[in-house]
Amino acid sequence: MVSNSEKYTEKKVKRSMSQEKRNSIAGYLFVSPFFILFAIFGLFPMLFSFYLAFFKWNGLGEMTFNGINNFTIIFNDPIFWKSIYNTVVIGLLGTVPQLIVAFLLAYALNAQALRFKNTFRVAIFMPYVTSIVAVAILFSIIFNSQSFGLVNSILGVFGVDPIVFTQSEWGAKIAIATMIFWRWVGYNTIIYLAGMQSISSDLYEAAKIDGATLSQQLRYITLPMLKPFILFTVFMGTIGSLQIFTEPLIFFGGNLREEGITVVAYLYRDAFENNFFGTASATAIVLFGIIMIFSVLNLLITNRLGRGKARKA
Amino acid sequence: MKAITPTQPKQLSRKAILYSLLTFAGLVSLFPFYWMFVMATQPNHVINQTPPALLPGSELVTNFTNVLGTIDFFGAMMNSLIVSVSVTVGSLFLCSLAGFAFAKLQFKGRDALFVLILITMMIPPQLGLIPSYYIISQLGWLSDLKAIIVPGLINAFGIFWMRQYIKEAIPDELIEAARLDGCSNFRIYWNVVTPAILPAFATLGIIVFMNVWNDFLWPLVVLQDQSTHTLQVALRALSDSYNRDYGMILSGTFWATVPLIIVFLLFNKAFISSLTQGAVKS
Amino acid sequence: MKKLWKTSILAGSAMAILAGCSSDESGSGSGSGGGSETIDMWVFGTTGYEELAEKYMEENPDVKINVQSTEMGDHHNNLFTALSAGQGAPDIAMIEVGEIERYREAQDRFANLYDLGAKDVQGDYLEWVWNVGQSADGEFMFGLPTDIGPTAMYYRKDVVEEAGYPTDPAELAASLNTWEAYSQFAKDVAEKTGKPVVDNAELIFNAKRDQADEHYFNRDNELIVEDNAAIREAYDYTVSLIEEGAVGNMPLWTPEWGQGMAEGSYATLLGPAWMQGVVKGNAPDSDQWMITTMPEGAGNWGGSYLTISEESDQQEEAYAFIEWLVSPETQLESFKDMGLFPSTPATYEQDEFINYTDDYFGGINTAAVFAEAAEQVKDVYKGRNYLLVQGEIMTALNNVLSSGGDPDKEWDDAMERIKQRLERE
Repeated sequence: MVSNSEKYTEKKVKRSMSQEKRNSIAGYLFVSPFFILFAIFGLFPMLFSFYLAFFKWNGLGEMTFNGINNFTIIFNDPIFWKSIYNTVVIGLLGTVPQLIVAFLLAYALNAQALRFKNTFRVAIFMPYVTSIVAVAILFSIIFNSQSFGLVNSILGVFGVDPIVFTQSEWGAKIAIATMIFWRWVGYNTIIYLAGMQSISSDLYEAAKIDGATLSQQLRYITLPMLKPFILFTVFMGTIGSLQIFTEPLIFFGGNLREEGITVVAYLYRDAFENNFFGTASATAIVLFGIIMIFSVLNLLITNRLGRGKARKA
Repeated sequence: MKAITPTQPKQLSRKAILYSLLTFAGLVSLFPFYWMFVMATQPNHVINQTPPALLPGSELVTNFTNVLGTIDFFGAMMNSLIVSVSVTVGSLFLCSLAGFAFAKLQFKGRDALFVLILITMMIPPQLGLIPSYYIISQLGWLSDLKAIIVPGLINAFGIFWMRQYIKEAIPDELIEAARLDGCSNFRIYWNVVTPAILPAFATLGIIVFMNVWNDFLWPLVVLQDQSTHTLQVALRALSDSYNRDYGMILSGTFWATVPLIIVFLLFNKAFISSLTQGAVKS
Repeated sequence: MKKLWKTSILAGSAMAILAGCSSDESGSGSGSGGGSETIDMWVFGTTGYEELAEKYMEENPDVKINVQSTEMGDHHNNLFTALSAGQGAPDIAMIEVGEIERYREAQDRFANLYDLGAKDVQGDYLEWVWNVGQSADGEFMFGLPTDIGPTAMYYRKDVVEEAGYPTDPAELAASLNTWEAYSQFAKDVAEKTGKPVVDNAELIFNAKRDQADEHYFNRDNELIVEDNAAIREAYDYTVSLIEEGAVGNMPLWTPEWGQGMAEGSYATLLGPAWMQGVVKGNAPDSDQWMITTMPEGAGNWGGSYLTISEESDQQEEAYAFIEWLVSPETQLESFKDMGLFPSTPATYEQDEFINYTDDYFGGINTAAVFAEAAEQVKDVYKGRNYLLVQGEIMTALNNVLSSGGDPDKEWDDAMERIKQRLERE
């Protein structure tokens, strides 16, 4: 017995020595495909954009060095600042209520003894499957500026004058945020649901025996256990909403107006409508900085929130 | 007994709230599909009607025949299928492998590399179009499905997702035990990790598949030859710039969505069973 | 620029070797650009060029043409990307008239059609159309003109009649021969029918603008819009109609715009020849639409050019094909089959053209109306940032129209935005 266990520990030590090395090699090997592919298809385009930010270039002619002028130009453009403001406002409008609703829907879908569970689940996830064309046509009717548009006719019932959505400060933002909400709410519901399903039912059973109410279970079991999923959706939501551009592009049908122009739409307009690649690249760099700041901020905040809750539980 | 009776109406009303909430959400979500179907059965000018038509019309066959006359619908669908399946299978493998390494293996610079991956997610991709195109043309991959499949395997999001999942779902003891049995890291990944993360595969698989199927910005640029067009690229050809036949466009869009719905429904079952399985196991 | 690409070729191939996945494939790349027998052609929209290419191949069995049709915006973006990366452009590419300006910079990536014999056919085409296709110094020819989009006045018989004006095309044109008369007409329409005279601010502004000799930039590509009295006049004219309540708010291509067309929600539509198909599509059951000439002249909206890329190794075969494709004879075919309006005046004299009538538009010879308009179009320099300026002016007009903005302030703001954005060039 004694010798056996001695052997065992000896073996374990020996193994873990070489194991460390093996883990290292395997680790590098397993993550290398991403970095190799990224080096080929991602790095060069990225460096190229960075380089372009200091040049004037129209895509076809000569490049001319422009120093930090591209940055000066966009910083002096009130519409650039407006686009940042719009992005943040639309992002908040489109994401915060969306995540809350997604959580509620997931919670409802996770209810025990719920019938037609699968049907509901499929239905709610469906918008994620739609193509941009369908979304564009649908929402142009819902948010039509004429009095017959769906939203305007509802407002009409309450005696409100029709809103010209494309030219209204809040109308444009709400319309764009609604498109985002509708398209993504089902997706986040499914993610939360997957998270909820991974919580062991034993935990709830134990809580029930301890006499915990539904809201206590929600607060002390579901929320803390869902932390990685919530963190994930908040993180993705932040990155996603800072990069919104298809929706405003569709909504304005070409002529982007300052009521709803987002940073990426601003960048896209410079690059692909006017071929001002220099300022477009400068905008991309500024946007990259903003995304970094936001991501770090919300990682910090979510971490702290999550930790607080976990401790309580 | 006394305690239970008063809760029953409360439970009933809770149920009513539950069902009406879900029904409402389901209807709001499904309506556009129905509406897309309605428009796919109508002649063009009906889309301009107010209020818009809510019942199917008679042009179902005509509109789809027009689609078939304008684009190679089924050929494009085949291309979409090849691309979507390849990217899905490939990136599920690569993402879970990397996710496993980031979650469970110790190696120098691991956290730094992971942060690097997160950072790549934050780069706005729109500007990379021209240099990326250039690389593809240098590789000789223009009008080749590889141009979509290979770069499509880069999926920072997927690695992130897999890392989170593996970290939570697989106890370190399990891996230690496998190691004591003499398993190599790849064997551990293959025999221990993969079976335990089926739900994550199902979820990420759906997400990747849908994204690849619906993507058009990049395929549009590199798939120049019509024989290599994916569905979304082919569908763009239905929008004549000067005169749009919405009936035909939506017919194409609708029928292009149907396989996606079917795939989702099939996949969804596996997804659910693997979910419950995963729950039982843990 | 070239240097950068060279370095990146090196970097690119180094990475490719690193990945170990390139060399065996790249040689046999099945890309459409490289084939030496097939002539690749990129077009957009419904041109009917696929069928014409078939016909050409039957007559010339040794030529093989592969026509790829893409949506208009995508088509131009793809072409731009290929030209910018310096690789992958087709032998023949169609370029829309509004897009051609941004390709002038890339003259070295196109074949000079004058070297391939374009001088010989110059006389077949309308002068202003031809001029858009060549460089400023007239030395370089980018592309042969395909169809054009001369503008005329579409009108609703019922609305015009209700306003107390003649419904006969010639008589209506005579009574609306000046913009002043049109302004009075707008007032009468608003008063008697309660309907706007035009669908939106854009088309009326464009109609006035297109009659000016210079628009937003001069031929040295300097911004002149602020001091160009003709443009300000077009702006003020549009504003005056807005203030009369005579301008509708039905933006182009929206469902309400199409619906307005079907229901006759406005009196006139100042549109190009190809808009005939749009009107028929949106109002298939209407028998009220007619066409006549616009007050004081005409403009052009649309039409394309067929270019040949420098990298093509079959420039001569490609040129022979496009010369045939847009010759007066073939353009007559395109007109009959697809409604593409010819850029070759000789076609206007053909019997089939003279005797052309359209029952939808009251059985009148619509072709003659547009042919007359085509001859009146002015040769205007547009410049590569034309659409940028246009977009900002439209924003100003729309603010006046639906948010009650002050016209002078909106104009000044638009000028400010234009200058701000042009600093980037």
